[in-house]
Amino acid sequence: MADAAATAGAAGSGTRSGSKQSTNPADNYHLARRRTLQVVVSSLLTEAGFESAEKASVETLTEMLQSYISEIGRSAKSYCEHTARTQPTLSDIVVTLVEMGFNVDTLPAYAKRSQRMVITAPPVTNQPVTPKALTAGQNRPHPPHIPSHFPEFPDPHTYIKTPTYREPVSDYQVLREKAASQRRDVERALTRFMAKTGETQSLFKDDVSTFPLIAARPFTIPYLTALLPSELEMQQMEETDSSEQDEQTDTENLPLHISPNVAHLLFHPRLSPRRKSSTSACGSPLSYPVIPSKQQSPSPDDTDPSLHSLIRQILSYYAQALNQTLGCSRG
Amino acid sequence: MPPTGSDPARMNRKKGDKGFESPRPYKLTHQVVCINNINFQRKSVVGFVELTIFPTVANLNRIKLNSKQCRIYRVRINDLEAAFIYNDPTLEVCHSESKQRNLNYFSNAYAAAVSAVDPDAGNGELCIKVPSELWKHVDELKVLKIHINFSLDQPKGGLHFVVPSVEGSMAERGAHVFSCGYQNSTRFWFPCVDSYSELCTWKLEFTVDAAMVAVSNGDLVETVYTHDMRKKTFHYMLTIPTSASNISLAIGPFEILVDPYMHEVTHFCLPQLLPLLKHTTSYLHEVFEFYEEILTCRYPYSCFKTVFIDEAYVEVAAYASMSIFSTNLLHSAMIIDETPLTRRCLAQSLAQQFFGCFISRMSWSDEWVLKGISGYIYGLWMKKTFGVNEYRHWIKEELDKIVAYELKTGGVLLHPIFGGGKEKDNPAPHPHFSIKHPHTLSWEYYTMFQCKAHLVMRLIENRISMEFMLQVFNKLLSLASTASSQKFQSHMWSQMLVSTSGFLKSISNVSGKDIQPLIKQWVDQSGVVKFYGSFAFNRKRNVLELEIKQDYTSPGTQKYVGPLKVTVQELDGSFNHTLQIEENSLKHDIPCHSKSRRNKKKKIPLMNGEEVDMDLSAMDADSPLLWIRIDPDMAVLRKVDSEQADFMWQYQLRYERDVVAQQEAISALERFPTPASRLALTDVLEQEQCFYRVRMAACFCLAKIANSMVSTWTGPPAMKSLFTRMFCCKTCPNIVKTNNFMSFQSYFLQKTMPVAMALLRDVHNLCPKEVLTFILDLIKYNDNRKNKFSDNYYRAEMIDALANSVTPAVSVNNEVRTLDNLNPDVRLILEEITRFLNMEKLLPSYRHTITVSCLRAIRVLQKNGHVPSDPSLFKSYAEYGHFVDIRIAALEAVVDYTKVDRSYEELQWLLTMVQNDPVPYVRHKILNMLTKNPPFTKSMESPLCNEALVDQLWKLMNSGTSHDWRLRCGAVDLYFTLFGLSRPSCLPLPELGLVLNLKEKKAVLNPTIIPEAIAGNQEAAVNPSSHTQLVGFQNPFSSSQDEEEIDMDTVHDSQAFISHHLNMLERPSTPGLSKYRPANSRSALIPQHSAGCDGTPTTKPQWNMELPRKGTGKEQPPLEMSVHAAAAAPLSVFGKEPASSKHSEHHHHHHHEHKKKKKKHKHKHKHKHRRDGRERGRGPLAFPSPAGGRSARSPSLSD
Repeated sequence: MADAAATAGAAGSGTRSGSKQSTNPADNYHLARRRTLQVVVSSLLTEAGFESAEKASVETLTEMLQSYISEIGRSAKSYCEHTARTQPTLSDIVVTLVEMGFNVDTLPAYAKRSQRMVITAPPVTNQPVTPKALTAGQNRPHPPHIPSHFPEFPDPHTYIKTPTYREPVSDYQVLREKAASQRRDVERALTRFMAKTGETQSLFKDDVSTFPLIAARPFTIPYLTALLPSELEMQQMEETDSSEQDEQTDTENLPLHISPNVAHLLFHPRLSPRRKSSTSACGSPLSYPVIPSKQQSPSPDDTDPSLHSLIRQILSYYAQALNQTLGCSRG
Repeated sequence: MPPTGSDPARMNRKKGDKGFESPRPYKLTHQVVCINNINFQRKSVVGFVELTIFPTVANLNRIKLNSKQCRIYRVRINDLEAAFIYNDPTLEVCHSESKQRNLNYFSNAYAAAVSAVDPDAGNGELCIKVPSELWKHVDELKVLKIHINFSLDQPKGGLHFVVPSVEGSMAERGAHVFSCGYQNSTRFWFPCVDSYSELCTWKLEFTVDAAMVAVSNGDLVETVYTHDMRKKTFHYMLTIPTSASNISLAIGPFEILVDPYMHEVTHFCLPQLLPLLKHTTSYLHEVFEFYEEILTCRYPYSCFKTVFIDEAYVEVAAYASMSIFSTNLLHSAMIIDETPLTRRCLAQSLAQQFFGCFISRMSWSDEWVLKGISGYIYGLWMKKTFGVNEYRHWIKEELDKIVAYELKTGGVLLHPIFGGGKEKDNPAPHPHFSIKHPHTLSWEYYTMFQCKAHLVMRLIENRISMEFMLQVFNKLLSLASTASSQKFQSHMWSQMLVSTSGFLKSISNVSGKDIQPLIKQWVDQSGVVKFYGSFAFNRKRNVLELEIKQDYTSPGTQKYVGPLKVTVQELDGSFNHTLQIEENSLKHDIPCHSKSRRNKKKKIPLMNGEEVDMDLSAMDADSPLLWIRIDPDMAVLRKVDSEQADFMWQYQLRYERDVVAQQEAISALERFPTPASRLALTDVLEQEQCFYRVRMAACFCLAKIANSMVSTWTGPPAMKSLFTRMFCCKTCPNIVKTNNFMSFQSYFLQKTMPVAMALLRDVHNLCPKEVLTFILDLIKYNDNRKNKFSDNYYRAEMIDALANSVTPAVSVNNEVRTLDNLNPDVRLILEEITRFLNMEKLLPSYRHTITVSCLRAIRVLQKNGHVPSDPSLFKSYAEYGHFVDIRIAALEAVVDYTKVDRSYEELQWLLTMVQNDPVPYVRHKILNMLTKNPPFTKSMESPLCNEALVDQLWKLMNSGTSHDWRLRCGAVDLYFTLFGLSRPSCLPLPELGLVLNLKEKKAVLNPTIIPEAIAGNQEAAVNPSSHTQLVGFQNPFSSSQDEEEIDMDTVHDSQAFISHHLNMLERPSTPGLSKYRPANSRSALIPQHSAGCDGTPTTKPQWNMELPRKGTGKEQPPLEMSVHAAAAAPLSVFGKEPASSKHSEHHHHHHHEHKKKKKKHKHKHKHKHRRDGRERGRGPLAFPSPAGGRSARSPSLSD
């Protein structure tokens, strides 16, 4: 009876779905699955001793079973993705079941119960075929150290690069020209900026803007700025020290009339980092660390590395000045 | 000082140590200097000194010490209060009322004032009376301990405080203080016998803030914290007998570096400079080794300290076992130019450690020996370190300098002997200052003096060989070091003093040679020799007829008689001839060795044995002579003008290997602008074996020649192609290679060539456009990124080159310079200067060399009329707070502006700075620059020259600069340059009545002294009865401070004053005198309890006019005391009171006199009385001098 009902239900749903006249393969798949579940529910009811069941209760139970299984699937997928896999394994299912409060230990016994009914496998419906993406070239096989279950390499076009070249400017003259003018432009811009934003002096009474001179500002400890090498120079020294002298060096050692020891006694005077902050009473918040750049030749595409530090220096100088004025106004 | 009457110093002459006669009636053995408190905020110092002395005469009752600007609180001798008188005639040389404004008068008065306190004559500013209780003690020649409590407030000289005005504690601010001064200036910071000849051992204690370090002479024995742990006391011991003048001190938050090579050497620098210090001093040990080796003598002190301080008085100051340097000598490894300069300074100071500090001098006239030896061994060090070329170049430079100075301003006398009549044989070549005393010397003269001293030492070396020379030094040193380890009682210490005669004796002992003629010529006599050489070749006799003329009539010259070496380079080789220069023989025949011949492809041997091929086509076919050199070894202090054909100079330049000859040839070739000269110079320029300084000189000569040949010059501007070849890229000749200064030789050449090129001018007398673009390109493409060394000096020279290229603007009817009519070339130059100057603000260069060059260039633009002339920019850079080099450059521009624009305002501004600037060096430098580039001179009419300026400068040198000898002498120099010796022309003529008076007196007076005031004085002196009539026009006292001044109307006065003082010092003490020792007589009466308050009256320094006024309240107690003391005097325990009646008479008289003075405020009275006193008081009763009395608080008595 139950069987009949079940079949009837299944047939009903089948007819209903058929009545929808859905030809969508996904829908077909969906209906087939539902039918199978109804068969399962019916057989379980039979097993439990029911002789008949109302259609509505069978439907409800089917819904429950379906959502239970769906939950197992969803949860197992999560677990497997959590461990960076794409295919759930048995352990994922076990953990899922445990998580859902199911006593897994009872499962083998239940599976081997005597009165169980075997239902036939559902008819295999043909899987919808996903159209294959365009492949370009051969995917690389896994190297030996990558287990085969790992996903394949992506298509070559996603990672292979095809560099394009522009003819590099290698003319020495142009390089020097560019480096020089760049430097000059930056210097001019910076000094103009400083002059615009600060006090200036002028050589011409009638025109104060064409040749603005940054106003002379007395220092509290003038010898420090005068004697200590600037950061820029320090940096240069490190660079030139590490790199051998370049192509144009005249290697002939001319007799040096200045004491020859000057060169021998070279060393790196590293100034204590607090020098910046102690030149002014208040420290500078903008004291950038100077990153020694290893740029070796002037390249037109990069700005001169020393310009970077120059700008940095100027910014910190500016910050200092700002600090001082702030400090003054506060004090 | 020729004191009249009895002079205790002279009486003891025979009792001094052997070989040295002390001018003092006592001998100093030990001195303690203890400074308990140093206040940086108030710039004050409190401490005491204790001198241990042994009287050498039985009747010693006055002790004279040196002390300036110290406030003395209390003097005790063997724990007994002692009275003292303080009097410093150098505070105000001439009386401020004196209307006298002639320099002759001043310099005489100044010399008299200086010798009145000269320790070498046994004088001093501070005169202490030995308490009568101790006379017996003294008679037994037992030891005396003089304890003096003193303080210093805002010292203006001697000690220099540097206190930056930032936040934080003094140590964090880098505040420091150090001793400084010119010659013996220790008296400025503690009472002492400020003479180089009075040696003693020292104990020095300085209590300073715990964060500070005190550096002083000798060994640091211990440092002890005070109880509160906030202060530390540094104890130094100097067991080697040393003169007070060689004692120094530096206190500051120094970073300390123990020399890694020599652990007994310690270096000190200001915070944050330690890396620079490490690099700078890393070379010092080699200097040590060198000196110790050549002198075969260990460094005499057990330790050596170098201290680098800011705002230094001089770059290098050597003191016993310690040298003080300017912090600006420190440099990093990237700096090329400063390195040799700094090393020279280190070596110089070290040489002075041996000769100058360890070995001291007997008197000022022996100074030349010390300066000579230290300069000479420094020269040896130079020769070893920088090579013979550099050494010879330096000698030539020094020789040229001294010759130029002597010919221009008069002779430099190394060994001035002062005796009767001597001076008439050798009239003073420098009328505006006296050379009898170091403190009256012009600074420039002193620099030249040192220069001449070492050159003369070199002459002596030439005569006796270096080996003997070093033996002599070694002998001096070993004698001294033996003496130094002896006890005082052995009387050996005087062997640590060098004297001219001792030195000469040891030379003759060691070498057995007689160098007397040499000494007579160069040491006892001033002046240099001026030779004119010309020659003719006598072909028939094959003889060179050389004519050597001398000019010995111009000022600064002298006649030379003796051997003279002449080197003749002939075709067959180089031959030396020694000619005897005699009175009348002008012509000398020198036989030639080689026949004239055309070149037979034979190599020509040179002096040094080298054989070279020469192109002989240029030479005279008839003569075998290539070139002739007169005195090639610089064995005479001379200037040689010799005439040779241009080709001979060219050969000399190309083939003579001596750098001096090459340089002579270069300077001679300037007169021969021919293509051949051009070629010779270019060849030298290109020759890399050639000494770089010669090549540098060749650059400038080439520029001059090119300018002379401008119409015929072919090819690119001089040196351009050469520079391009040497320093520019092969592929693109307009771009300079990236900087690589590894070869210093080419670095210097690279720096110099553009500067010389910029001097080129085209037919329109403008700098060729090509050259300017070339220099601008050099600046544009300058790339220092790959260089090991800083390019700051190079860039600075590029700016100098730009400045050199500037030519006067074409001015259309004197329009005002504006931006619109700016020459486009100048616009480019100005753009570079602006950019450089602005970049300096962001990325300052080492020692701000670029700013300095920019300022100079701007001044050049102003002067040439491209930019409106305006000093305001320079004035802002000259402010205190800029680096000293910048300030000097800016001040130089202001000085120049003052001259060109005749600006009274700027002159005033400069003079104000001379008075007020915190940095002594800057003050000195302003005067120096004004003297060198004066706004007007004595022979010139100028609107600037007015009475107010005369008064101002007079005041400056008369009283405004009493704290700094160097500055005062600088002011005297300036006054001399501006107004000359006699009365400045801008002053109104003196009134007629006085002129009459004058003429009358002239016969009686020193003819150089013409003033009305003196006339009055002299009259008074000569005719005491007439003084009342003259009182009417005698200068009235105007300012209150004069009450505190001593009576110093005239030179004559100051001498009278001194002799009076000496009289006063004679025993037995009169009751009159006892009045002037209130503290003394009272302490006899009222023993201890009042000692504290009685300190104040005696202390109150009558001499110090810039004392903070203590208010009249404090003035009161002293009055009472002294009156009281005076009244009590007859009752005192003085056993020798001759007659109390006499005493009261004197007392009365004294009162009377002071009342009178107060009423009329006249000087004349005192003066007259003094004369009276001298006439009457010859007997046992020295008459109390009003002057002396006044300075010992006598004004109070009149109340």
